[in-house]
Amino acid sequence: MQYLRHCNKFTSRGLSTQVANADLNITDFVNRNPRNLERMRIGYKPDGYHVEKPGKCFWHKLNLSQSGRYVYATIEHFENGTVLQASTKEWALKKQLYKCIDSSAYYNLGRVLAERCLKSGLIEVYSNITPPKPDGKVAKFLEALQKGGVNLQEPPQFKPPRPWDQYRHEKPWEVTE
Amino acid sequence: MSCILWKFSSNINTRSSSAVRNLIRHGHHLRGKPPGVARSLKQRLEEINYKNPSLHFRVDIGLPPPVVSRSTQLKERLSVVKQLRKNSELEKLARNKQLLINLEQANEEWLRTSGYYHIKKLSDHYGVYEHLFGDAYFLPVVPLCVNYTKADVKHPVYFGNLIKPSDAETKPEVHYESEKEALWSLILTNPDGHFTKQDQEYIHWFVGNIPGNKIDQGETIVEYLQPFPPKGTGYHRHIFILYKQEKRIDFSELKKSGPCLNLEDRTFSTLEFYRQRQEDLTPGGLAFFQSDWDSTLTEFYHNTLNMKEPVFEYDFPPPYIRPQEWFAKRRPFNLYLDKYRDPKQINKEFLMRKLKNVHPFKAPPPPLPYPNAVYFKDSVPQWLKLEKIKSRLKWGRINEIE
Repeated sequence: MQYLRHCNKFTSRGLSTQVANADLNITDFVNRNPRNLERMRIGYKPDGYHVEKPGKCFWHKLNLSQSGRYVYATIEHFENGTVLQASTKEWALKKQLYKCIDSSAYYNLGRVLAERCLKSGLIEVYSNITPPKPDGKVAKFLEALQKGGVNLQEPPQFKPPRPWDQYRHEKPWEVTE
Repeated sequence: MSCILWKFSSNINTRSSSAVRNLIRHGHHLRGKPPGVARSLKQRLEEINYKNPSLHFRVDIGLPPPVVSRSTQLKERLSVVKQLRKNSELEKLARNKQLLINLEQANEEWLRTSGYYHIKKLSDHYGVYEHLFGDAYFLPVVPLCVNYTKADVKHPVYFGNLIKPSDAETKPEVHYESEKEALWSLILTNPDGHFTKQDQEYIHWFVGNIPGNKIDQGETIVEYLQPFPPKGTGYHRHIFILYKQEKRIDFSELKKSGPCLNLEDRTFSTLEFYRQRQEDLTPGGLAFFQSDWDSTLTEFYHNTLNMKEPVFEYDFPPPYIRPQEWFAKRRPFNLYLDKYRDPKQINKEFLMRKLKNVHPFKAPPPPLPYPNAVYFKDSVPQWLKLEKIKSRLKWGRINEIE
């Protein structure tokens, strides 16, 4: 539940309609959208202990795996599991590719996944995939994702400043470009 | 058992070994079960969130997906794949890493085959079914294409993309495939925006009894209103649902005359609406977008809705401070005690200190060029010196009032 405190105070105006908009007594506001807090950078991001293997600090994570004949790319959420997936196994991709695990397959998979990510509103996705070769298949996949418009770095969680904190960082909702 | 071990060790003579001294000094006490036996966070969350499957199950209320004979499909696909393997141009392109597939074709094929399962997963992730229908869900079998046009720029609506309210001012063009005699209803709701009731939605657009494909010939029961997410509340979902009607339905009780700018009138509950018309309606198509605050909304609130623009800020929970101890050993006393004082009192003291040096008519003193090099005249305790230096450098609690 996301509770928002109301800043302004209302004055009632006498209007002839039933309950006019100006007479609505608005105090708290609850936004039920489960992805709202993550998008606003305020939502909880799991961290794990500092001695653990990194790769747990994300809202949405990119996973890439290959079997003998196909490649699978998924976007996973830390709570809800697999949210978005694309693979060369799907007929939509298979019928246009020559081979389902070569460099062209990886590049086109990246393009398709980027398109689906943008359509679902996932613009920033965490990825800890380092390509083993700088001009290999995985590098092509990541390049296609970035060209498609998906940012492979999530912004850090905005934690509210405690009274004793040394610095006050700028709030993400007050940044206007 | 290990807890008792450590407690016993505090009675050991600390002069015996430095190792024992270090253990007691750092106070490592094992709480609860040892690692390996204790449940991990994941296991604990599973236990807490366990839902009995006989009580918590979901019902499919949508249209059935088209059934395709798997054997014929396989035959066709195998023949296509065989042709692809023989295609030497394709092989050359793939070898030179220049093969680019047609994304539109791929998208169409995806929507026709596995698209609805993926969109259903996404909608679950966004909580669409949960907040609109509760325990029911449906597979969006009918592909729904919704496009907003503003200044010759198309803003399509997919499943969760961002569209600003200034781009969604006028009615969108809706396109879907249907037979000529079928009747459809299209509803646009916002489950996140309600100002007074939390489980109700605001209805933005309702067109009923649409013959076939033509939205213009359908009955406009509630006229289109642009999205108006207030400032500070973040992203609101706006969901288009396309229902298939069995017969012509009378929506006169929901009919709103005119542009209907009164927000109380626009209160709507999809669950109640669907419950009353369960036999006649089946949800078939789904599309939703997210909308954020825009600077054009200020005028919209003032002129169109005739109300003051509400502005919100997220209410963060207060910081967790561990319960106060009588004897806080090895803790800086001023910082420790400040955590348990009323923050307003602390801010008031800072403000009083600041106001002592403020003259009502003279300009404020210029900022210090070297704040760390200012001399402390009288004998000032070290902790107070540190506090004053922090105020001068604008670190810490002074930022609460400035």
